[in-house]
Amino acid sequence: MRVLKQKKKRLFEFLGKLKQSYELIAPVSKDVVRFEKIDDTGDIYLEKNSYFPLKEYFFRKEEVLFKFNGNKIIVPAPEAPARVFFGIRKCDLNAISHQDMVFMNQVNDPYYSSMRKNSFLLGYHCNTAPSPFCFCGSLELVDYSDLMFYDRGDYLLVEIGSEKGKFLAGKFREFFVETNAAITQKEKIIPRADRLDKKDISHLYDHPDWKKGVDICLSCSACTALCPTCYCFEIHDNVGTKNPKEGERKRSWSSCQVQEFTKVAGEHVFRKEREERFKHRIYHQLDYFKQKNGINLCVGCGRCIEACPTRIDFVEIINEMK
Amino acid sequence: MKQKLKQLENPYIPKPYKILDFHRETFDTFTLTVNMKTSHEPGQFVQVSVPGFGEAPISICSDSKDFIELNIREVGNVTRALAKLRKGDKLLVRGPYGKGYPMQHIKGNNIIMIGGGCGVAPLKGAIGYIENHRADFNDVLLYLGYRSPDDIIFKREMERWKKEYHIKVTVDKNAHGKFCYDAKEGFITDALKASSFTNENKVVFICGPPIMMKGAIDILKQKGFHDDQIFISAERLMYCALGICCHCMIRGKFTCIDGPVFRYDEVKDFKND
Repeated sequence: MRVLKQKKKRLFEFLGKLKQSYELIAPVSKDVVRFEKIDDTGDIYLEKNSYFPLKEYFFRKEEVLFKFNGNKIIVPAPEAPARVFFGIRKCDLNAISHQDMVFMNQVNDPYYSSMRKNSFLLGYHCNTAPSPFCFCGSLELVDYSDLMFYDRGDYLLVEIGSEKGKFLAGKFREFFVETNAAITQKEKIIPRADRLDKKDISHLYDHPDWKKGVDICLSCSACTALCPTCYCFEIHDNVGTKNPKEGERKRSWSSCQVQEFTKVAGEHVFRKEREERFKHRIYHQLDYFKQKNGINLCVGCGRCIEACPTRIDFVEIINEMK
Repeated sequence: MKQKLKQLENPYIPKPYKILDFHRETFDTFTLTVNMKTSHEPGQFVQVSVPGFGEAPISICSDSKDFIELNIREVGNVTRALAKLRKGDKLLVRGPYGKGYPMQHIKGNNIIMIGGGCGVAPLKGAIGYIENHRADFNDVLLYLGYRSPDDIIFKREMERWKKEYHIKVTVDKNAHGKFCYDAKEGFITDALKASSFTNENKVVFICGPPIMMKGAIDILKQKGFHDDQIFISAERLMYCALGICCHCMIRGKFTCIDGPVFRYDEVKDFKND
């Protein structure tokens, strides 16, 4: 892939220039590190990965699928602001690739697609694992960005990853210089981020050690809310109080960690026990998705472990299984 | 035009259809005939909605390209709202979805259908298919179990089925002592156990409450049936019916796109997942 060079101080000039044509979204350090719309490029914070994943910008927490008045349906025009996202880590880029598989390849979800198609993904390589919970190195992550920035001290190497990236680098060519440098596969490996030992858990389903992750689970579902890949949702109708015929059908995130996830009419719950729900989450991430799509859903960002109020570390649980 | 095309491509948008007939089956079940012209397999389902109440997956219980019949039990918000509709009213439908019974692949066999309660509805679609392709199939044996004589659905159709097929009907309890359709008191699994058939040239469809399906499978196994001769239906909470919302996932399989009809050997190791 073609590589360009950029002086460190030119990076922020480049981002400032981008901001004039696009909505720029990058990590900032506030109460926690989070992706936000940038007004001042000096606010961009690249020391740690964001606490919240990017998914809400594409697969939104709530989405109006359509409005209705009786049986008459009004579909909202797709909203598609032109956005540049900067500072996305490799794990999160891969999470976007997995959600693309679901919402753009498996089905054509017009709400997700319109947000994605008008976005540029500018990645930022982790020279070292930004959190002790990271384990992206144990998973088979791929290159998935429009432009990927590799920090080399006083300069950056910028790998062009797509046609969109090529377009952006061309449009703003004054901020880049040509170089013969290449980024090797070895240089793309993030050190000390390979703590998940087992690649295949399909034979461990009945292992008694899963219980270790269950006794202290509060079913709070912070793990699924903060997961950059979790894409489960539910659909409900909301009606107005003035005219009960008028309302909207809404999609919203849902969590497999709560009983309601499998509750059918007549009150029967299929995954009633916490162990079944915990295993379902881990197996969807590390087994079921792979059976269908050839790649693990989990990207090893470690957010579900960091966010867990009782610090259930499923990586450790799996590693200790004999 | 462009706007309209976009609307067609949006997989979440249902379309309005007219109700051609409302027929009350029992105190809490009814059958709607809807003017939706679609080709489908028996065992497939549609997402039916009443705006303001939401959507519910309902299996198609007819076999026609000109309309669909939906047998519905009033158990939740959507189904209770559907119960208020009458002939001439409109409702919203999208689909059909899912994998149904593999009718094309089982030609020449004897078909045994075991149904419990409203689980008889998808089987009625398969019976309809056999009626329309009678020469392709041999004997048909129907084992239908209900809670009480008052819960028996498809009484109109049963008169016809009695003439064409071997049929056994049971009721768990006959509180009023009312005689009805040769129904014997007891469980459908008892009737199954008392039958003398073997597994030769047979395919079995089972649809009903989990405990009934399990009991029926145990008896069939004792009679020498192989797992791949048995097809079961799964019921799960569903929202999208497109294989992406994940609520209906059983282990790695999606009830909405890989099922709701599964060959038993595909799912037999799944417990309460």
